[in-house]
Amino acid sequence: MSSATTVAVTGLRTELGSRLVARLTARPDVVVVGIDHQRPWGLDAAVRFHGLDLTHPTADADVAEVLRKEDVTVLVHLAFRREPTPDVESDHELETLGSLHVLDACTAAGVSRVVFASTTMAYGARPDNPNYLTEDHPLRGHRAAHNVQNRVEAEGLASEWARRNPDRCLTVLRHCWTLGPGSRHAMARYFARPVVPMLMGYDPLIQLIHEDDCLRAFERATLESIPGVYNLVGRGVQPLSRLIRHAGKRVLPVPAPLMHRLRYAPSFAQTGDEPDGFYDFLRYLWVADGSRGFAAFGEPDYTTKEAFTAFVSERKLREMQ
Amino acid sequence: MSGPRSQDLLDEALADLGREIRERFDGRPSGPGEGEEPKAPDVDVFAIFGELRARTRTLGMRERRGELDEFGMDPEWIEQLRPALSLLASRWFRVRAEGLAEVPDGPVLFVANRSGLLPWDGLLVAHQLASVRGEAARPRFLVADWLITLPFAQPTLTRLGAVRACRENAEQLLRSGRSVVAFPEGVKGASKTWGERYKLQRFGRGGAVRLGLDLGVPIVPVSVVGAEETQPILYKVESLARASGLPFLPITPTFPWLGPLGFVPLPSRLDFAFGHPLDVEDSDPRDELVVSRLNEELRSRIQQMVDAGLAARREAG
Repeated sequence: MSSATTVAVTGLRTELGSRLVARLTARPDVVVVGIDHQRPWGLDAAVRFHGLDLTHPTADADVAEVLRKEDVTVLVHLAFRREPTPDVESDHELETLGSLHVLDACTAAGVSRVVFASTTMAYGARPDNPNYLTEDHPLRGHRAAHNVQNRVEAEGLASEWARRNPDRCLTVLRHCWTLGPGSRHAMARYFARPVVPMLMGYDPLIQLIHEDDCLRAFERATLESIPGVYNLVGRGVQPLSRLIRHAGKRVLPVPAPLMHRLRYAPSFAQTGDEPDGFYDFLRYLWVADGSRGFAAFGEPDYTTKEAFTAFVSERKLREMQ
Repeated sequence: MSGPRSQDLLDEALADLGREIRERFDGRPSGPGEGEEPKAPDVDVFAIFGELRARTRTLGMRERRGELDEFGMDPEWIEQLRPALSLLASRWFRVRAEGLAEVPDGPVLFVANRSGLLPWDGLLVAHQLASVRGEAARPRFLVADWLITLPFAQPTLTRLGAVRACRENAEQLLRSGRSVVAFPEGVKGASKTWGERYKLQRFGRGGAVRLGLDLGVPIVPVSVVGAEETQPILYKVESLARASGLPFLPITPTFPWLGPLGFVPLPSRLDFAFGHPLDVEDSDPRDELVVSRLNEELRSRIQQMVDAGLAARREAG
């Protein structure tokens, strides 16, 4: 088993993490080391699991010890919250400082390759975005969305790490909203409502990636050395209203100033943030240019519309042809 | 799919019912009997009723199958709107365009003077070019940030082919072989008051010229005469504007007095003139002085074309 690659995955309980671990353990040439706060239910026995809290002040030393002991060569960092929680402080501890701990541990343990999960939301939803954001566009984040701000900070730490370790390989994968049969996150719940709120007078173009395409790119980045920053998106864009109608739902137009007043109704935004942090992403453009990702990871199997159709038919939101 | 099937069943049932009622009223099976002289075809109320019902049922749930392009333009919708747009161009604005024959083929960067609050000029220049040179050559018109993110304007303009004015967008469009209509005056052009009409404002920082030089795309000056009169701005209220998120709040003869109706443009005749492409022989896009000289040349040429257009209108009366 000397030829086997040892891959460490942080954030096993995320949708992407659990599926990636399942895919990697199926390969004979990969040994998977799992790092998470708690052991996920039903984890494959082949995974060498280590229960570590990344928000702990000495987490960097703990992770480094595990990485050294298991002789890890590749680390996939996915330990980000699936969606923002009302506990802003703990989100920041995990997403920003947790990333710092993991990166420091990789430096200390001599991990040669890091795959870092990010999101195209980090570009921020802004009225002055170009229609297609390339990887070179600055990450401007969003003032009201703390999870997005954490990603921007974490990505800053990752690029700083790559600058200080020029001999190692860093792959940053910024994926847009993933949607597919298994999706259970805020966007999936948003589209599953009987009446879907939308900002009155706005109908932005939305970009989606199917979870299988996203998973395939992460697996490829784990097994091969593909340094750089890549946007992971599906081909094509769809207006939000068309997606909602495609799901067989009714649109509830809400005036934007009223939505702003609803800042104390967090359940409306489904997050701990004020609604702007979520609804600005349904107001302004933040579509990313995926051509660099298509060239590196191959053409995605699903377009935006096909990914949405797969989600809608699996969840039986309406009968599909 | 249950929807269409139940719809079909319903239509069938309605048709059956119609036939039965007609038979009962006439006392004989419908259809021409032998020996009868053909009478005038009676209006089939039931067919009309069925049709109306089908239409109202689908009114709120229109599902467009046509695909959008990557900038959100909806060719199918534009096709449906074509008669209305043509009517708007020919009857309301009485558009006249000259110099269209000299416009080079392939991607072109059109540069025009901006006037009027809403981008009627961009829409109609694009429509005019599409109707003369074919739908494939429909140029995309660039609009300022504040307009493309304005509620209600945003979805409509995007579907009509407007794109936010920025270098990245224009570059991507031109590289993919599509023409672009740019208005380098930007918001300064749209916010000119009545006293400043037809005086071209500064042409940005030469972004349009630099892009044209970079990509080797012909830069065609376009003059729009008449659009200043569609929504003449008498006064700009700056203080209220900040609260509403607009760059300025205009007072026109009809706005805000008539409410939303004030956005209806006055029916002024529009004259478009397409000039010769700008002569940019081996100019270096890196040379700032060359770019600003060409930029100023472009501005003065459009100003001349506008002045010539105004003189011609005055002569015509």
